[in-house]
Amino acid sequence: MSEPNIDIKEFHWLMDMLQTIDVGLVVLDKEHNIKVWNSFMESHSGLTPLQTKDKNLFDLFEELPKDWLMHKTGSVFMLKNRSFMTWEQRPYLFKFKNNRPITGTEPFMYQNITISPLASTDGNVNHVAIIIYDVTDIAANRNALEKANLELETLSRTDRLTKLNNRGYWEECLSKEFSRYQRYKTTCSVIMFDIDHFKKVNDTYGHQAGDEVIRLVSKVLTNNLRATDIAGRYGGEEFGVILGNTDAESAMVFCERVREEIAALEVTYEGQLIKFTVSLGISQAVDSIPDYVTWLNEADQALYASKEGGRNQTNTFKHS
Amino acid sequence: MTIPVLICDDSSVARKQMARTLPDDWDIEISFAKHGEEALSAIKEGLGDILFLDLNMPVMDGYETLENISKLDLPTMVIVVSGDIQPEAHKRVKDLGAIDFIKKPTSKEALSELLEKFGLYRPTEGIPANAPPVEKTVIKGEIGQIEYRDCIQEIANVAMGQAADLLARLLNVFVKLPIPNVNLLEVSELEMALSQTEGSTTYSAVCQGFIGSGICGEALLIFSDSSFEDIAKLLNYTGDLNRMVELELLMEVASILVGACTNGIAQQLDTNFSQGHPVVLGQHVQVGSLIKANSKRWKKTLAIEITYEIENYNISCDLLLLFTEDSLDNLNKRLSYLMD
Repeated sequence: MSEPNIDIKEFHWLMDMLQTIDVGLVVLDKEHNIKVWNSFMESHSGLTPLQTKDKNLFDLFEELPKDWLMHKTGSVFMLKNRSFMTWEQRPYLFKFKNNRPITGTEPFMYQNITISPLASTDGNVNHVAIIIYDVTDIAANRNALEKANLELETLSRTDRLTKLNNRGYWEECLSKEFSRYQRYKTTCSVIMFDIDHFKKVNDTYGHQAGDEVIRLVSKVLTNNLRATDIAGRYGGEEFGVILGNTDAESAMVFCERVREEIAALEVTYEGQLIKFTVSLGISQAVDSIPDYVTWLNEADQALYASKEGGRNQTNTFKHS
Repeated sequence: MTIPVLICDDSSVARKQMARTLPDDWDIEISFAKHGEEALSAIKEGLGDILFLDLNMPVMDGYETLENISKLDLPTMVIVVSGDIQPEAHKRVKDLGAIDFIKKPTSKEALSELLEKFGLYRPTEGIPANAPPVEKTVIKGEIGQIEYRDCIQEIANVAMGQAADLLARLLNVFVKLPIPNVNLLEVSELEMALSQTEGSTTYSAVCQGFIGSGICGEALLIFSDSSFEDIAKLLNYTGDLNRMVELELLMEVASILVGACTNGIAQQLDTNFSQGHPVVLGQHVQVGSLIKANSKRWKKTLAIEITYEIENYNISCDLLLLFTEDSLDNLNKRLSYLMD
């Protein structure tokens, strides 16, 4: 600044440009005293350059993450290398309002920060520049996109009628559970069950009554699940449940509870009383099972045995 | 008396630069070696009273060469010439018997001064500054054909050393330097090269664009997630190692390695790069999913791959510098001073 050969007029418009640029500029010395505070900073903080000149940054802004910022500026002074921070690691450095207070979706300004070493004429770095970019729109868009993707993901794996997992996603989970079993040998069981004579319900009372029955069965199932159990709607009136850390005996307790609760249900649909039952099949994972499809097939065979045995009952697949 | 001088470096560019940096009026015969084993046999033949030795080389690196020289008690004075400017590297080679250390790229003045200090050379008085250099006899080995790739590799070598030095100072550790890998890749090959490192481990990465003088590209820093625990220790982060802390660490190391490396390259190309803001490519993902390369816009890329490892810690990261196809011409022009 003491360069005598810079035209004062030129200096004036150069400063003017730094003042009006839509980016925050702060210059600090080694003690974190403020040397430059441009109009972006003034507008958003409400403090004028005069009020901030030579004041300690941390005295003026007590809410700043002091240790963190000192660590960053410290390494910039030491290594004479620029340091970058993104809004993803820290949404903002200075808590400023969103510059679209009415239409903006975010309550505050997201910021990307660059800390640059400033070399004096003797080559020493006695000052750093903190540059603050407003990236609120980028952050808002990214957040909205992530939220939308999450919703899509949930939608794509959920069965509309029952809100249980759909067949595709449930089978994925089953395959993962089986891999976990193969690696860690954790006890686990799979259950298949379906509603007895469901076609008759549909034919007698209509499809809407059938849907209501499926919804009620799902509700009983959901109410009996523990946090780690994974249930899915496998087909029309067919359901599957993965029970982690559960042997066939405990799975039987689970099945019988569900079976009894369903048998006790009394559904009134358009003035008519509908009663129904379910048949269930269990298979506990053992070493002789080569893949998850076989495992599932065994539960299906146990379910078939329940049908053969007169329905409204549970059977376990016997591994020889 | 004519002194036999041996220059040992795997890079033809570095061999040439070294030969060019030797004082013009120094009465010597030169031999070249491409790695430590060649150097040892040349010294045994009496071709290396003075050895200029690089550190990062294939077959036998500089450290091993120094060990062998002292074990076999070979008659040579070793001056290490390296882009590895970590004070620890300097100390290690001196402990292994090197008389001094000179950093790449070497300058004529610094070298003359060093040689004078050890009484190995005295400038002849009364030689006009513009006198043509005395042609020196080459006894054994050769500089070799200088290829474009060698130039890039040597430039990367120096830049990587500067970056490692900053990292070493920040973390207070010794950074092990590899030989940078330079390749002209098709986009599909890049994806393949990346997915080769794939295993059950997951990775986190940031990228940062750079541009200047018609040269542009992106720097990618890829961390294996198992590295974070040790980095957190070194940077004194306490408490839970959650995603935010990992991101913090990633950005900190990326700022340093990418900044120093691109600056180092820009300096040697006599230009400046402006850097974009770093962007997080992903956390805890498979390496293959990091780059969804826009293969329609570009086909080929010049890739410099540098794998940094930190001694005694489980930390390893890959720095990839990717230059676009349309940067290659300008890069070529700026490299020409190394080629002729």
